[in-house]
Amino acid sequence: MISVKKVDNRPLNFLERLYLPEIARGLLVTTRHFFVNLFNPKGIPTVQYPEQTLPLPHAARERTRHRLKVRADGSPKCVACFMCQTACPAYCIHIEAAEYPDNPVEKYPAVFDIDLARCVMCGMCVEACPEDAIAMDTLEIPGGVLDRNALKLGREALLRNLAGEPSLKGASNRLANDYLKSRGQA
Amino acid sequence: MPRITIDGRPIEVEKGVTLLEAAQRLGVHIPRYCYHPKLSVSGNCRMCLVEIEKAPKLVTACSTEAADGMAVLTMSEKVKTARRDVLEFLLINHPLDCPVCDQAGECGLQDYYMEHSLAKSRFPAEDKVRRQKRRVLGPHLVLDNERCILCTRCVRFCSEVTRTSELEVMERADHSFIDLKEGRALDNGYSLNIADICPVGAWTSRDFRFKQRVWFLKKTPTVCLGCATGCLTEVHHNENTIYRVVPRPNAETNTWLCDAGRMTYKAVQAGDRLAKGVIKNGLIDLEPALRETASRIDEAHGALAVLGSPWLSVEDNAALARLAKDALKTADFSFDFSAEQGVKDGILINKDPAPNAAGARRVQAAFGGTSFAELSAKVASGAVKVLVTEARAAALLKDALKAGGARLIVFAANRSEIPAGAYATLPYASYFETPGTFINFQGLERRTQPAVTAAEGVKPLWAMVNKLAVYSGTSLRLESAQDALKGIDLK
Repeated sequence: MISVKKVDNRPLNFLERLYLPEIARGLLVTTRHFFVNLFNPKGIPTVQYPEQTLPLPHAARERTRHRLKVRADGSPKCVACFMCQTACPAYCIHIEAAEYPDNPVEKYPAVFDIDLARCVMCGMCVEACPEDAIAMDTLEIPGGVLDRNALKLGREALLRNLAGEPSLKGASNRLANDYLKSRGQA
Repeated sequence: MPRITIDGRPIEVEKGVTLLEAAQRLGVHIPRYCYHPKLSVSGNCRMCLVEIEKAPKLVTACSTEAADGMAVLTMSEKVKTARRDVLEFLLINHPLDCPVCDQAGECGLQDYYMEHSLAKSRFPAEDKVRRQKRRVLGPHLVLDNERCILCTRCVRFCSEVTRTSELEVMERADHSFIDLKEGRALDNGYSLNIADICPVGAWTSRDFRFKQRVWFLKKTPTVCLGCATGCLTEVHHNENTIYRVVPRPNAETNTWLCDAGRMTYKAVQAGDRLAKGVIKNGLIDLEPALRETASRIDEAHGALAVLGSPWLSVEDNAALARLAKDALKTADFSFDFSAEQGVKDGILINKDPAPNAAGARRVQAAFGGTSFAELSAKVASGAVKVLVTEARAAALLKDALKAGGARLIVFAANRSEIPAGAYATLPYASYFETPGTFINFQGLERRTQPAVTAAEGVKPLWAMVNKLAVYSGTSLRLESAQDALKGIDLK
């Protein structure tokens, strides 16, 4: 069932039907805004994105540009399990797995691309990650570029730790952590 | 014959049938790890426990034979609790490295945990038994002892199917693990079946390892063309790339698949796949190659011969027969291949390495033609100026070609197949890319199904033959593979 709302439109009065006085009234509104903004530029709510951004409200901070967390030896925490690629509703993640010769965690992403032009910023990849390897907390809002290719992030562009990291969480990271400890890198 | 009831449903089975098999006939799936229909019963995983009314304890369905009057319950509370508890035991020492494990997605532990348990582990991760991970054993397999649940399917496979007995359970109780016997190597020609039958991720294939997650794979039922046995297989592929070939168990021919058969897909994706024609040693576009080939055929003025190939499907052999009969107007064609057939090693591998000698003989029966020996003699005598055949079949006439000096025109899928001295080579789509009918050594009809699409311009062989005929001035009117099959009795 579609609900129908009846709108009681007031019939136009004589001045409104004359048309020109209303045009003048509209111009007056625009002109007032122009002069108010001209003499009080701090009051303008518009932000000059992408050069300028606003501080994000708390929940939105978890939906900014992706990053891949890094272990103490500089390798990605990601083990190329393809969970994020499977969960991604926009098909923007492309992974190619490879095998470590020595590290007992065995698997790592040789290629990890995120196409931000396709990404819908839903955060499903972060939800799906069993290794705590991908996060969307860089506080960078992607977009505002002149070239689409600038939105394709490769593995190196994604690898980044925040202050207080590397963290040692994650299901398979026991093996990697033991390995790093044995080599004196953790 | 014992009459039993399973979950209240009556069934009558032959003597010696186990409860698990009887339940399967009723469509009731009893979870199992160690049971495999083609291996001996071991009864060690305890996953198939079922309740029998009036019996004091739960019994393993895989090892209990049906007896008259048994009332079996597979979904009672007692059974459900037992399954949950057995899974808890099996998972106690499991490393839970599913993100790295290739089995994830087709893993018995994952599936049954979701179906029968969903319990939280009560066992601290630090107390888990640690074992050696990632041991490369043999040319095809990697063993991870930590993931192993000791169902011994692999041990039984090696001792009962291949009869090589390389594997054994070492030590006992909590210390036990699967290991290779001293001084042995795991290279019995069927070793990749172990990766298939392993219900967990303990055995993984080195070839497939980390290439693709299994839930992305699409499955196409087809046939192995590695030899005349013609095993039924399933090709797993995604985005036009084949990742692995696994057996499709059936009563007539195969439960398993040999390692060589599993690797046949490599040729399709090899770097030397032909998408253009080759004249002498130079690649040229398809159309000029066909024109050149046709003009060589016209030059020969009837001194032509066509040899079919036991590596080609019935359709493609029939197209070659029509080319010889209707376009080239020669009587010198042969589809008569009589290699010795029969299973060589008692498991699967056939004495005849070509998959379709029987199918080629069907074409011979329908179209006539000379025997292979006569054709060979004629080629050797020099009476044949141009011979048209398939690349691997050309090798059968190698000596005759050398003696007679005929120009060789071959069809080949890969550059490495092209025989030395071939004048012209035309590409064709392999049977992973196009359907084809084959007849195996038992006389059973086998159809291949395309799993991937061929490179642009690469057509099935019958279509290439059709084109070649047009270039030499005759239309064979082959619009589809079915047109080529007309008049051939496949039975």
